[in-house]
Amino acid sequence: MKLIKYGKVFSTQLLAKKIKNPRTWLVLLAKEQVAGYGRKGAVWFSPKGGLYFSIILPKSKIEDLQTLTILAAFIVAKVVKENFNLEPLIKLPNDIFVNGKKIAGILTENVVRPTFGEYPDVKLSVMGIGLNTNIKKFPKDLENIATSLKIELGKKVNNEKILKEIIKGLKEQLKTISE
Amino acid sequence: MKLKLKIKGKEYEIEISESKEGEVKINVGGKEFVFGKDEEKEKVLIAKPTFPKRDFSKKEIKAPITGVISEIFVKEGYYVKKNQKLLLLSAMKMENEIVSDFEGRVEKILVKKDQEVKGGETLIVLR
Repeated sequence: MKLIKYGKVFSTQLLAKKIKNPRTWLVLLAKEQVAGYGRKGAVWFSPKGGLYFSIILPKSKIEDLQTLTILAAFIVAKVVKENFNLEPLIKLPNDIFVNGKKIAGILTENVVRPTFGEYPDVKLSVMGIGLNTNIKKFPKDLENIATSLKIELGKKVNNEKILKEIIKGLKEQLKTISE
Repeated sequence: MKLKLKIKGKEYEIEISESKEGEVKINVGGKEFVFGKDEEKEKVLIAKPTFPKRDFSKKEIKAPITGVISEIFVKEGYYVKKNQKLLLLSAMKMENEIVSDFEGRVEKILVKKDQEVKGGETLIVLR
């Protein structure tokens, strides 16, 4: 896994989409996002402490990418459950809740070039994952709807260890889908 | 000389013969065409080869999958470059930026924001 670490960025998704000749499974990790976003442009609160990253996915059929995106939610939930003994709930398509509050979100963005043929050409696929790990506190408007691992567990977690487990899970799942 | 020709699955019996006067007779399925040396007895209409009508100057941008148009970045009359973002199509699990594969003018936008579209449906026509 090739990992590029950033400090404060607008959004890892935006960065990933701007990379020229992006390498498959390249991971862009940020400490903080000032314009993190989810589906339909919804703001993703991304202060320091959280885990925010985007992955360049291998070129795949659009249907496989769709399946992988759903599976990504299961992978993140599994990592949370197995490492921290919490009971995450998946709200399809791509949100993960713990104790009724959102803890993670997943967004896959594809750049698609329509072709005259039967299959569209997926030029680039970027999966962004935001997991509230070491966030101490949420602003008033979010405190009733969002939570973090630190709030739930009362202790700090290892962001990079979690990141590696998620990537490993995604690679395994993609292999299963495309076989 | 007798021969059989198969055209588009239909078989034609053709008989070609020559008269004493030097005329060439061609009988196709019972109908006789006679050709003199320097004259023609009956004009034979030969069908023009037909090609499927396709306007190659028009380029249709189609939905890669079923979803909802969440954003339209261009307007009719706009000139677009290759790889320029045209639309954003949200499928349940993904956001898909539809980019143009060629340069051209947006002739027609066939969809509206928040409209549901099916995979393969034409969204924009470029020329």
